[in-house]
Amino acid sequence: MTFEPKIVAFLCTWCSYTGADSAGVARLKSPANIRAIRVPCSGRVSPELVMRTFDQGADGVLVLGCHIGECHYDTGNHRAAKRLPILHSLMQYVGLELERFHLDWVSASEGERYSRITTEFVRSVRELGPITWRIAPEYVLTKNQNLESPQLLPYLETDCAGKTDAIRSKAKELLTSGKVDCVIGYEMGPRGRTRPSFAYSEKDADRLVWNPDVTNNLTGYIPFKFKRSPMGLQEPRKPVAVIVKPCDCKAVNVQLAENHYKREQLYIIGVTCDGVRDKADGIQERCISCVERVPKVYDTLIGEAPILVESSTQPRQDKIETLLPKERLEFWLSQFDRCIRCYACRQACPLCNCPTCLYERDDSIWVGLGIGLNEKRTFHLGRAYHHAGRCIGCNECERACPMEIPLSLLNQKLAGEIEKMFGFRAGETIAPSPILTVLSGEYQEGK
Amino acid sequence: MSKGKGTVEDVVPVQFPAQSSPDVKTWLVSRKELISWLDRISSGQILIAPTDISGILQYHRVMDSSEIVFDFIRPKLSLKEVIFPPTELLFKIHRNGLELNLEETHPLGKTAVFGVRPCDARGMKHLDAVFLTKGAEDSSYSKRRENTILIGLGCKQTGPYCFCTSVGGRLDDASDMDIMVNETETGYLVQEISEKGHSLVLEDSWKKSNPYLQKNISIGEFPVPDKEKWPTHFRDEFWARIGERCLSCRACAYVCPTCRCFVIRDEKSAPNEFERIRCWDSCMGENYRRVAGGHKPRDKKGERQRNRFFCKFYYFPEQYNLGDTSACTGCGRCIEICPVGVDVTEVLTELESIV
Repeated sequence: MTFEPKIVAFLCTWCSYTGADSAGVARLKSPANIRAIRVPCSGRVSPELVMRTFDQGADGVLVLGCHIGECHYDTGNHRAAKRLPILHSLMQYVGLELERFHLDWVSASEGERYSRITTEFVRSVRELGPITWRIAPEYVLTKNQNLESPQLLPYLETDCAGKTDAIRSKAKELLTSGKVDCVIGYEMGPRGRTRPSFAYSEKDADRLVWNPDVTNNLTGYIPFKFKRSPMGLQEPRKPVAVIVKPCDCKAVNVQLAENHYKREQLYIIGVTCDGVRDKADGIQERCISCVERVPKVYDTLIGEAPILVESSTQPRQDKIETLLPKERLEFWLSQFDRCIRCYACRQACPLCNCPTCLYERDDSIWVGLGIGLNEKRTFHLGRAYHHAGRCIGCNECERACPMEIPLSLLNQKLAGEIEKMFGFRAGETIAPSPILTVLSGEYQEGK
Repeated sequence: MSKGKGTVEDVVPVQFPAQSSPDVKTWLVSRKELISWLDRISSGQILIAPTDISGILQYHRVMDSSEIVFDFIRPKLSLKEVIFPPTELLFKIHRNGLELNLEETHPLGKTAVFGVRPCDARGMKHLDAVFLTKGAEDSSYSKRRENTILIGLGCKQTGPYCFCTSVGGRLDDASDMDIMVNETETGYLVQEISEKGHSLVLEDSWKKSNPYLQKNISIGEFPVPDKEKWPTHFRDEFWARIGERCLSCRACAYVCPTCRCFVIRDEKSAPNEFERIRCWDSCMGENYRRVAGGHKPRDKKGERQRNRFFCKFYYFPEQYNLGDTSACTGCGRCIEICPVGVDVTEVLTELESIV
């Protein structure tokens, strides 16, 4: 018996579902593989829903909505047009074949078009064969799926002592004048490691430093400061000062765009950056391709604008793009297999701040609780998708991961897709992600 | 007692009951004999050993000795991963109309774990206390544990974050092993420590040896405040300071050999079929202690940090009385992976100075 794919089609009530109906009324042949799910609007079809469908074993997923300009809810299909292609590129990046997902537009009278699209889609999925997305417990992973670290540039000495002095004096000035309640910066820990520091007094401010290892993104602490305070400390009423590198301050822009706090509540001490040191004494990979050396937003700037070492290479990303879908699937499965679902990546991210994470909810149906391969992959893909157009590339997620999973690759991929599709880069200005907002007339032809 | 990191200050025959007693069967084997012994074990049962998984060293099943890494400090995750896996299917529930049938899961067969570091085995001892004693035996854990033999490998070197001797451990501690292996200049000293270990040793072909001489090494000199001193510092502002930096990322609990909190949920796996699964969880998570109605008794990060340290250094010793200072084994994994530099040794040192 030849393979017959199981296709799930999300049909919007007003157009495509009715279109399917009219195909039936006109006795036009449509493939029986389609399991139709009727939704109010194609915009309702969220990426989590599509991933869940693949997780549950669908060989292909089809989403049909009203033509652009004809949505019953005005801009619902704009939503689908923006979100689903981004998801599609992410899933393709992780090894799903391109042809297994399709978004198209069918109006209520276009029975013939419905019949044609579904027949064509089922034919192309049938040719691909059964899907290998959902992993059975007995699956044996391919070994040795290491991604080589690229050749690192050596770390160059810069004026850290000067910056340290400037930071300390600025912090003391802000604290003694009463302008701010707290200065969040960096300090040296007991084992010579640099870590976040919270200065509430002049004495505390003397611990602040600037050195080659100031890798943490301190902006993650800011929303926390304004919502609750740690046990025993007074709720800060005054603004908070934070020391930011050029990459970090982009997170501030995204946090402001998402209304976590007002700009007046923050005093930004921007510091110019030559890159942060890596464990192997080179510059961290993310710094090599960074083109910003001066923070975009600040109240005080410390340091001279350094000479830019231009390099836009992304060697790890390039390597993955050369792999075939099956190889990509294997690679990413071996990476996610190591994951222990500790959520360190989520906690370390300055922009992951849902009160209850979608993937941790007791009533969550999007992914199971288990620390199994399918669940872990869905969690990471979903989380990466939630950061499309928001992630500023600080790579805290990858750094915090105890199992050294190259998470930043997922975020980088989506950032690239967003830039291609919308010409938008997160954090450059105070603007939310383009796929979170729906504005008429923003749709771009073609996927 | 000598100080210093990993230097052998002196080698003296110390009178510890288990290891250096002439009653303990000890053999001297060559590397070749050790490897062929491990190959033999892997052909007869499941062999788990430290092996490279895409660049990370973990205790993982190996098909033969060629996959084993012999030179290492300690694997990224502890032995807990083997005996108390991150996700476990407890049983399946089948529904037939109004009837419910439970389908038990069967544990893996006989398992031998080679290359167990003393800190990890000590962690196992603490997990055994929680899951097997006080009249509350966890059947899933117990079946797995019964089928597992621990073959220890003494530490030749220590890592920058190790401090096991500060909490009463030793680099060559065999007290929680079934078989102990220590590398010396002349070969590997293999010792049968427990009755369970007896089933695996090859008495006939191996050369008998003199008892093992324990090394008197101490690494790190971090004070551990006595458990009686902890309750008085429950409400100190000190904990808020420690907690401020914390991200509640939970990585520390997941890599820890003794952290053991879990969550259980029934999930639908197929029409009319449910699975009851148990997964790791951690008190460091924001929602861990959330109760019905939404209240969170440990809402603040400082409270959660405090709970973690109290659990390790006060609650556990108080409740289980295993005769050691704490449930911390000094492996240092938490210090190594904390993204923001929370350091248990720093906390202990500061607390001791307050006391």
